[in-house]
Amino acid sequence: MKNVVIAGYARSPFHLANKGELTRVRPDDLAAAVVKALVQRTGVDPKEIEDLIVGCAFPEGEQGFNVAKLIGMIAGLPQSVAGTTVNRFCGSSMQAIHQAAGAIALGAGEAFICAGIESMTRVPMGGFNPSLNPALAAANPGAYMSMGITAENLAKKFGFSRADQEAYAAESHRKAAAARAAGKLEAEIVGIETQGKLVNQDGCIRPDTTPEGLSTLKPAFDAAGTVTAGTSSPLTDGASAVLVTSEDFARAHGLKVMARIRSIAVSGCDATIMGYGPVPASRKALARAGITVADLDIVESNEAFAVQSMTVAKELGFDPAKVNIDGGAIALGHPLGATGARITGKAASLLQREGKALALTTQCIGGGQGIATVLEAV
Amino acid sequence: MQIKSCAVIGSGVMGSGIAAHIANAGIPVMLLDIVPQSVKDNGGDRSVVAKTAIEKMLKTDPAPFMHKKAASLVTPGNLEDDLPKLADVDWIVEAIVENPAIKADLYKKLDGVRKAGSVVSSNTSTIPLNILLQGQSERFAADFMITHFFNPPRYMRLLEVVKGEKTRDDAFQAVSAFCDVVLGKGVVRCKDTPGFIANRIGTYFMQAAVNEAIDGGLTVEEADAISGKPMGLPKTGTFGLIDLVGLDLMPLISKSLLSTLPQDDDYRRIYRDNPLAAKMIAEGYTGRKGKGGFYRQTKLPDGKRLREAIDLRTGEYRKSGRASLESANAKGLRALVETKDKGGQYAWRVLSQSLSYAADLVPQIADDVQSVDEAMRLGYNWKFGPFEMIDQLGTGWFAEMLAAEGKPVPHMVKLAAGRSFYRTEGAKLQFLGTDGDYHDVVRPEGVLLLSDVKRGSKPVAKNGSASLWDIGDGVLCLEFTSKMNALDADIMAMIRKSMEIIGDGKSGSFKALVVHNEASNFSVGANLGLALFALNIGLWPQVEQSVADGQQTYKALKYAPFPTVSAPSGMALGGGCEILLHSSAIQAHAELYTGLVEVGVGLLPGWGGCKEMVFRHTINKKRPGGPMPPIATAFEMISTAKVAKSAFEARDMLVLRPADGITFNKDRLLADAKKKALELVAAGYTPPEEVKIRLPGPGARAALENAVEGFAAQGKATPHDVVVSGAVATVLSGGDTDITVEVSEDDLLELERKHFMALVKTKGTIDRIEHMLETGKPLRN
Repeated sequence: MKNVVIAGYARSPFHLANKGELTRVRPDDLAAAVVKALVQRTGVDPKEIEDLIVGCAFPEGEQGFNVAKLIGMIAGLPQSVAGTTVNRFCGSSMQAIHQAAGAIALGAGEAFICAGIESMTRVPMGGFNPSLNPALAAANPGAYMSMGITAENLAKKFGFSRADQEAYAAESHRKAAAARAAGKLEAEIVGIETQGKLVNQDGCIRPDTTPEGLSTLKPAFDAAGTVTAGTSSPLTDGASAVLVTSEDFARAHGLKVMARIRSIAVSGCDATIMGYGPVPASRKALARAGITVADLDIVESNEAFAVQSMTVAKELGFDPAKVNIDGGAIALGHPLGATGARITGKAASLLQREGKALALTTQCIGGGQGIATVLEAV
Repeated sequence: MQIKSCAVIGSGVMGSGIAAHIANAGIPVMLLDIVPQSVKDNGGDRSVVAKTAIEKMLKTDPAPFMHKKAASLVTPGNLEDDLPKLADVDWIVEAIVENPAIKADLYKKLDGVRKAGSVVSSNTSTIPLNILLQGQSERFAADFMITHFFNPPRYMRLLEVVKGEKTRDDAFQAVSAFCDVVLGKGVVRCKDTPGFIANRIGTYFMQAAVNEAIDGGLTVEEADAISGKPMGLPKTGTFGLIDLVGLDLMPLISKSLLSTLPQDDDYRRIYRDNPLAAKMIAEGYTGRKGKGGFYRQTKLPDGKRLREAIDLRTGEYRKSGRASLESANAKGLRALVETKDKGGQYAWRVLSQSLSYAADLVPQIADDVQSVDEAMRLGYNWKFGPFEMIDQLGTGWFAEMLAAEGKPVPHMVKLAAGRSFYRTEGAKLQFLGTDGDYHDVVRPEGVLLLSDVKRGSKPVAKNGSASLWDIGDGVLCLEFTSKMNALDADIMAMIRKSMEIIGDGKSGSFKALVVHNEASNFSVGANLGLALFALNIGLWPQVEQSVADGQQTYKALKYAPFPTVSAPSGMALGGGCEILLHSSAIQAHAELYTGLVEVGVGLLPGWGGCKEMVFRHTINKKRPGGPMPPIATAFEMISTAKVAKSAFEARDMLVLRPADGITFNKDRLLADAKKKALELVAAGYTPPEEVKIRLPGPGARAALENAVEGFAAQGKATPHDVVVSGAVATVLSGGDTDITVEVSEDDLLELERKHFMALVKTKGTIDRIEHMLETGKPLRN
């Protein structure tokens, strides 16, 4: 089987939905700007690209039709490049990478752009026309359960206090603010033109966040609970993309290889604690890579909620110093479909920047799933 | 001349409120204020004062704007850069500080830029017109008048206008007509005297009410228990009203009046400095806007609120108690003043002085008694004006009583010589003129009052809760007459009776129906007391029958061969909203407060409200696609008991449809509705065709219920909210239907009925109804 590598990563700035600076940008335009910049930055010949795979959690409205092919057109990709939209909710764009890796391994293409998009301003979470299967809703309460309630369930089950969660959330903001101040986020961000100006800074990070400040917020999902807006990832607008190729292709075309994909995995779990999903998924991926948590140098573990990421870290035994070193989704934002490509691209870039060997990226997924990828330095 | 654009100078509370109300009426208006010195020195937005005023108004409750969109009609500016733009404006309202020199200076600037034929008016409440005109040009004097709005301009109906000797007739008429028809104000012409009508008499009344409370040893609660509802005055009473207006405002008004009133004016006799009030103001107790006033609320350590009142003798706060005075329950004004307790004596002393004062001011401050009465009704929310009150006491009796006490009898009372100030002659209402003769009360063109119709005729039909009146030209008017205009079986019977009488609208005497009444609220919904009685003794079939009767009656009205125009003002809630939804058209008073509020008492709209909302939102061409948005919109509205706070907001909710009309002046509402009904007849009215729609059924219900569970977890929905919302969700999503199947109005009505009946059998709903009847407030169970 062919080796698969990450050969480029870019993303838009992430901004709060409904009030941030990207509210007036159509999601297809947003993703196209990132794809276009990725092609330019990597220097890949777009004619060589097999497919544009776009992850999106609510592919309707402006994210509807087959938005992947449309994004390709807007980005000016040659008409020979195919396009497919994939949905694994929050794991959508990591799934896009997995699909590309599978295709490359099978010899079904050499180069893929794997992107993710979500304008949570313009396509609301839940979509425009939710229709639930009433029998399923009655039989399986987790199927359509609010994400916030699943986080509350984790807090109860794993015994995380509100103060624990607030300390974790404040730390996420501190790390993200420090990374931004040190210019460590600049290379990955693609400036977006909107309303006559260029947006090239993230909008969700609050550098002045303190546990004390967070302690004044009201519970967001359960009046008697511990999870607040401050310990949840915010509704976010954003897009991301990575270039996935065979190692041979990258070498032959002089692309800058960032990391090799060592293993991938997905796993289902109890939907009422969907945030637990990364635990079984990561265990599978680590086993397939033949390594243990102790071997990991870099971990990008998505922060859907503080308590969710804390549960995963506790159960898998992560070294906190290796997790989300430039901040996580609580600070940076979580544009559902776009997060997987962000954290995978980020992990690849961190292996390079930090000169490390092995990385894990993982996410939880609504409805009860986890997804994980192991990367290694080249 | 026609007024198509306006400007208001001065963006204080009055100026900005006037501008907002002009915008409410759809008229573009500039709002100009000064460039602050800090901006001149340091730079910045030169129109910041006016802009800030507009932003503040968007957050003010009660809202100065009838719809947020109206704010875009107000263009902020400043008096230095934007003065030339006044050249395009037809009417300029000046509402700046009450300082003649500053006003004079502004007028000269205005006169330099305004176009020929434009009108300038001052919103002064204290400065006579002749003083304002000193040093102004002849041309300016011809185009100048006073328009005195009351605060807040959107809500207070009174507008006092003063015409100067030189004011052009046509300019005065144009502004008066604009304020009457377009802004909906009750325009009362006053003479150029201090305080005009309402503040002159109102200030006197409040001074007398405070003096007599102190002299008579009444507590503030006792004084307010008498000088409120028993006198037909706002229920706050005098001290409560001063708290509301602001204690600090009172000395300013007094000072201004004292500086301009005639030397022999009786206000000078009763005016006293009030050391207690002065001390309170100095300590920040300026009323509700400050730390408190004659009353204050304090929070106890356990979180409960303690209502305290000031002791007028000691000036210390003490726990507020209910006044118990026999006189407070007296029936009628005469009985009140004749009750032999300190409340009765207090009422007599306050009224004898203030009614005498008012009765001596005609024709000094106004041409006739009805102007004075109108001003007090509209400007101070008195139920009856002073002359109407004297009529209730009896002019002869009043004169005797005054004489017996050795007090002067006011000349209008002498002139009446035992006759009443108002009388009905034939079908006409007449008033006593200053010439000693009676004159017809003449309504302006375009005003039709049901009370005038009723005075001169007998009802076409009548029962315990409703009447039908012939309002001319073949139009029948349905009036609710039940307590609070609550809807009951008699009203349903009268609606059916009206359909019987009008028939096909072609062969009989009548061709259209108008639903209207002159109460402060059109209808606050179904009669809950009756419903609770039936529920408590388990009369389920009767309850279900009353639901079915209402549904069938309203639906029959909707599809009747003749047009029905509803003309609501004030609140139209629950069943009162549902009758609007089944009318051919609505002519609404701009101050309409409407919504389907049944969930507040644990019910769902069962007379076709759910059905109409889901149908209207589904067939609305402007709505977003898919089956869910119309249901979600109707669900949010009904499950949160959303109430539109103006006719414009009711339009957003689709209670009003695009062809429905809005009338600003309540007195013009019935005439406008009648006109609309006759237009529908003239256009060859045919009833609407029944349509069918597709609804998504259980999948949508599950989605809504899922959302409600989230609200419940967040503590935003109570356990019984979840039950009631579930029933509403089931009805609105079409029950067990499927998206491939068409549903009819009758299908929805059957769902309404079924789920209404399920709700009334729950304890939570019965508790809510009981609580509402006992306390007037919704129970959060």
